[in-house]
Amino acid sequence: MAAEPRNSRRGGATPRRGAVQHRIGVADRMRGWLRHHMEVARQALVRLWSTPLASLMTLAVLAIALALPSFIFTALKNVEQLSAGIDTDPHISLYLDVTLSAERVDQLSRELLLRDDLVSVELISPEKGLEDFRRYTRFDDLLEFFDSNPLPAVITLIPRSSDPAALTRMQQALAQLPEVEEARLDLEWVRRLAAFMALAERSAWVLGGLLSLTVLLVVGNTVRMTIESRRDEILVSKMVGATDAWVRRPFLYSGVWFGLFGALLAWLLAQLALALIAEPVQALATLYLNGYVVQGLGIGASLTLLSTGMLLGLGGAWIAVGRHLRDIEPG
Amino acid sequence: MTAIRFSNVGKRYPNGHEALTGLNFALESGELAFLTGHSGAGKSTLLKLIMLMERPTRGEVWVGEQDLSRLPRKQIPFHRRQIGVVFQNHQLLFDRSVFDNVALPLQISGYDPVDAARRVRAALDKVGLLSREKLNPVTLSSGEQQRIGIARAIVHKPRLLLADEPTGNLDPALSEDIMHLFEQFNRIGTTVLIASHDLSLINRLRHRVLTLQGGRLVDDGR
Repeated sequence: MAAEPRNSRRGGATPRRGAVQHRIGVADRMRGWLRHHMEVARQALVRLWSTPLASLMTLAVLAIALALPSFIFTALKNVEQLSAGIDTDPHISLYLDVTLSAERVDQLSRELLLRDDLVSVELISPEKGLEDFRRYTRFDDLLEFFDSNPLPAVITLIPRSSDPAALTRMQQALAQLPEVEEARLDLEWVRRLAAFMALAERSAWVLGGLLSLTVLLVVGNTVRMTIESRRDEILVSKMVGATDAWVRRPFLYSGVWFGLFGALLAWLLAQLALALIAEPVQALATLYLNGYVVQGLGIGASLTLLSTGMLLGLGGAWIAVGRHLRDIEPG
Repeated sequence: MTAIRFSNVGKRYPNGHEALTGLNFALESGELAFLTGHSGAGKSTLLKLIMLMERPTRGEVWVGEQDLSRLPRKQIPFHRRQIGVVFQNHQLLFDRSVFDNVALPLQISGYDPVDAARRVRAALDKVGLLSREKLNPVTLSSGEQQRIGIARAIVHKPRLLLADEPTGNLDPALSEDIMHLFEQFNRIGTTVLIASHDLSLINRLRHRVLTLQGGRLVDDGR
């Protein structure tokens, strides 16, 4: 940033009179720059704690805004983990040709039993189907209209694979069999869950976006007030040769500290909220799956939360500084 | 060697007020000159043009070998670092000690703290306030505050020292002390331009006097 002053030295021979000007080398400037960064970071921190109540209020708002998406994302992660473990085995139902003889049907089901990409094969004969239809539906009088049993034999398969693409391929291959009238893949349950998860995740992102905007605005407003309260200092500094970057720096560090501490508080809040729901979730989980342990934020998500907080703080400060520092010019 | 050169400089404010008109003068390096005139004659505007706190609407202002109209905004801080300014209301910061006030220009320029401390003490010593370095300037008299303002203006040994009514709030004896201080800096080679309306004091000191009247230079003291 620190470019050499253009007219730092008079041209020509040694001036007749004139003070010897101070010159600062590049290495000194670099050291000075680093030193200034550390000093400014420290001072911004001190300033934050010099008004503890106001800072805490701001931090609480930031913490809640950051904790809410963290909590939701972690909850979703848990649902995802849970649903991956639950018995959601998709079924393929083969509706066989009605003209097929009982022997042929039986033979086909035996052939299918030999395949090792299937976990189970269950044959439902037309008679059994009719019985079930009578038992489970209220439409048994419909059957009066038929002379003979209209139901086909059905073979229900549970494939070993649970990958939707592989299942669809298998369904298509089975539908090609001459004995098969129709092969239906029962992916509905899995599809619904996936759709629900996608919706929940999208909503969480939208909410996260709105709350990030909140963080930007809150930090921006706080920094704007700090800028106003330090107007004289900014004016004097600019008068004695401070660059825009120099003037900007303390406010950017304030933003970063606000973001970081807000995120740390948010982490605590999110962990607390997760601990509160851990027990009922555990109870629910054991109904479906044994040995499931509720997941916390984890290291990855914690680091994401902290860095997001810092970046949002920096961003908010940057916006405020860009909007207001140019207005404060000596003259 | 010219320290400051104004060539046909005019400054008209957006509200139509013509602050300066057709200004032509040069200040040689190592000179000490007073700039006088009634309030509103354009003294402060002239100093602001040198500091690039304002830009002229006509003509050219040169400081050393730099045409200020060609200096981009980004370079303004580096231009200001070569100039020391003393204000009438001294513009000290009351949230820090005397020492830190004087050290500000050095911190901004990135001096090593040890070196900076040495220079700050030297500057405070020159204005006779070395013993006050740890105090808050708010506890000092207005004469002392003005001296701290001067120490801050000369701590980085600028080639050019500008002062805008530096004795405005001071009694005659203190005013004369302050002026002698400026003469001291001038003796070691600093170019000094002091805006003041204290004519009796100026006349006693026998330096070049530039006189402004209604934005025009009626006497350039040559």
